Amino acid sequence: MLSFLIRRLNLLLITALILTIIAFIIDRTVTISHAMATLDDRNYIAQYFSYLWQIINGNFGYSSIDQHGLLKRGLVFFASTLELCFVALLFSSLMAIPLGLLAGLFRNTKLDYMIMTIAIVGLALPVFWVGVMAILLPSIGGDILPVDGNLSLVYDIPVVTGFLLIDTLLVTQQYGVFAFIDRVAHLILPALVLSFFLIAEIVRLTRHSMTMVMRSNYIQTAYAKGFSRTKIVFTHALKNALPPIIPQLRLQLSTILSFAMTIEIVFNLNGIGKWLFISLKSGDYLVLPAGMLIISGFILIFSIATEIFMVLISPLRRGSLYVDK
Amino acid sequence: MRLICLLFSIVSLSGCYQNKALTQNTLIYCTDSQPTSFNPQISDDIASLDATTHQIFSRLVKIDSKTNEFVPDLAKSWERSDDKLRYRFTLRNNISFHETDYFKPTRFLNADDVLFSFNRMLDVTSPYHTVNNQSVNYFYNHPFTNLLSAINKIDEDTVEFVLSKPDVTLIANLAAHYAVIHSKEYSEQLLKEGHPEKIDFQPIGTGPFKFKSFDNNSTIRYTKNDLYWQSMTNIENLIFFTNPSATKRYTKLLSGECDAISYPAASQLETISHNKNITLNSKSTANISLWAFNTQQDKLKDPKIRQALAQAVDTETILNAVYFQSAIQTETLLSKQSWALKPRFDNDLFNPEQAEQTLKDRHFDFSQTLRILLPDGADVFNPNFHKTAELIQANLAAVGVKSRIESLNEIALKAELDSGDYDTYLTGINVHINDPDSIFRPLLSCNSTPETGNSSQWCSVNTQVLLDQSLTESNFAQRIKNYYHIQDEVFSQRPYLPIAHVLRLDAISKSILNVEVNPLTGINFQNAIKQDLN
Repeated sequence: MLSFLIRRLNLLLITALILTIIAFIIDRTVTISHAMATLDDRNYIAQYFSYLWQIINGNFGYSSIDQHGLLKRGLVFFASTLELCFVALLFSSLMAIPLGLLAGLFRNTKLDYMIMTIAIVGLALPVFWVGVMAILLPSIGGDILPVDGNLSLVYDIPVVTGFLLIDTLLVTQQYGVFAFIDRVAHLILPALVLSFFLIAEIVRLTRHSMTMVMRSNYIQTAYAKGFSRTKIVFTHALKNALPPIIPQLRLQLSTILSFAMTIEIVFNLNGIGKWLFISLKSGDYLVLPAGMLIISGFILIFSIATEIFMVLISPLRRGSLYVDK
Repeated sequence: MRLICLLFSIVSLSGCYQNKALTQNTLIYCTDSQPTSFNPQISDDIASLDATTHQIFSRLVKIDSKTNEFVPDLAKSWERSDDKLRYRFTLRNNISFHETDYFKPTRFLNADDVLFSFNRMLDVTSPYHTVNNQSVNYFYNHPFTNLLSAINKIDEDTVEFVLSKPDVTLIANLAAHYAVIHSKEYSEQLLKEGHPEKIDFQPIGTGPFKFKSFDNNSTIRYTKNDLYWQSMTNIENLIFFTNPSATKRYTKLLSGECDAISYPAASQLETISHNKNITLNSKSTANISLWAFNTQQDKLKDPKIRQALAQAVDTETILNAVYFQSAIQTETLLSKQSWALKPRFDNDLFNPEQAEQTLKDRHFDFSQTLRILLPDGADVFNPNFHKTAELIQANLAAVGVKSRIESLNEIALKAELDSGDYDTYLTGINVHINDPDSIFRPLLSCNSTPETGNSSQWCSVNTQVLLDQSLTESNFAQRIKNYYHIQDEVFSQRPYLPIAHVLRLDAISKSILNVEVNPLTGINFQNAIKQDLN
């Protein structure tokens, strides 16, 4: 167990080091060309180590525009991006898993073809285009949903966690649940658009996994035992079909994040994507390495955490705890 | 099934996601750009003026929006001495500065505050003179430098302005945006704290609204100033929200997330005017959209060539295609409202045949490519730079001149302008006082750089002398004559091709009443009322 953890963390460290080197290079080229920092006459290696030390201490530098600490600011924005991703994941799981299971169960039937067509259309449509189309929707059907911003401006929510869904619940004394409902309303459209792509992905994965499971020997045995189809699907197949999807979804994480960042710009949401975009537009290039470190750091930690989690829940993978490969 | 459930819940949610009680006393104004500071003394861009002049601050004198006469504001009354050199202002009593988290006033407004506010601009020894104003800023103290010789405190409630020579523009200058009154007590508190620069970013004034916060989401929040000396309306919270996209602003206006928006896109004006729930407020301004020729560039040194190029451009088409109804076509730098405007009656302003002939006569090198620089995005004086440039390009192609459009972001553009190596530049200028000097000086003075307005790099001794003379000229007729000369020179030398005078446009929801827009000093929400239309 310990050696497994060490192996994983080792990987994390090495990757993180490579990332900081890239961030350092960006940082230096940018600061030198803009003469923001006092030029350091030490060699690059020494400079890099002092840079690394600052990052370890949580000092990612300061915005050249308003002198705010970049790490804190970036994390608050990133929390909002994560919130969007999470809600989108929730939406898409609710819709895609049943669809995928159906498609897998009724493989090569009309139902399967129909679901897969929808899924492939979802994959083929560019996210930003769907976003722009979604912005038009409320204006056609009356002003049903807000299409712009994180939250209605009448609510002045202090930043506590950065996750607005939580922060709005912390101010119920002042605004009641209205702020929370308003936040949910603002999330619906962007989350739906983002889940469009995810649905396609999850449907494909679930369908594949379900098909594999249904073909496996133990299902055949269950049939032979004379169990009803419903019982087989619910007690045997589902339990085994769903876990393999999780590591597959993990691989999609960076895609989801980058789509979320695009959607933020389309829907004018205050997330890390819009933050980077606006900062770069106004010449605040120091945001670039900070933003990169936050995003890639999160992806790294998250993927290693899911791996450990998978090992804990899946007996098959637990093998890698003991085998040195 | 789940999909149906979800859709159903969305519809049921949508009914209640807006909280009536809270929106009732909150007014949201969606603007196109952010203020650069919260002090109209140092920032004169429209966004800064909108966000400060009428909301946070008060001046000694203001212009009555209905009668256009000067009426007392912080000053109770004023009197002029017989030699017309001294103006004595009596201040209103019991005027309190804003009480906020960061400042608690201990005394009422008095003469010291007035002196402090003006001395910050005029007195180089004032500790605040250079605060947030490191670079030499010509516009900073320009209106008062030649006007005033001294400002004296007579007693706690009386201030005397001494003029260097009789000048009627003093009152107009005191009603301008840069004559706002700051708190001296607050400035001293900030000096003690060691953060004098905060005076322009956490402002304290005497206006109807007090500053609450300005956060990274480009949202400015104000709350009602309970100590304001005049009656207030039902607006408790005022919010300014910046969104550069005109489409988004309009969407938010329709959905009720904004109560008023600045500068709706020119292309939306038609639909907005048909919408019964929206009032379109338009005010003519002196703001002008220009095509500047770099007079220092070899290929454009010859005024005849500049004239020919200007003649080749059809400004009427540009107006119809780009501005729709949001601007007025113009041939002159000054607007029709200006007293110094020399009327023109030329009818061959657009004449491609003659333009081509002139270019041939002057041996213009048709093989070279003319660069047209322009900012990416839109600005208040041009809703679509690129489209304008394309139309100009087509016009130039018609007379055989090749051109290349270069759309640059802010930083690249600044670098290009600083280098001085460009051919032409599509730009414009905002004007803040109704005085011809405020438009001619940035555009034509030798001291003005491309960045401060002189994008044609025009520098002529004649113009400079005329400009300087008119500023100190006491004979009004002579002043007008000087400005006529300048206009003649601009017309014959053609450093600029004026395209249009832009209107200031605000689309305001019908539920909001009494919003006043002053094209020079900004929008005023002091008397705004929000009513429930449902």
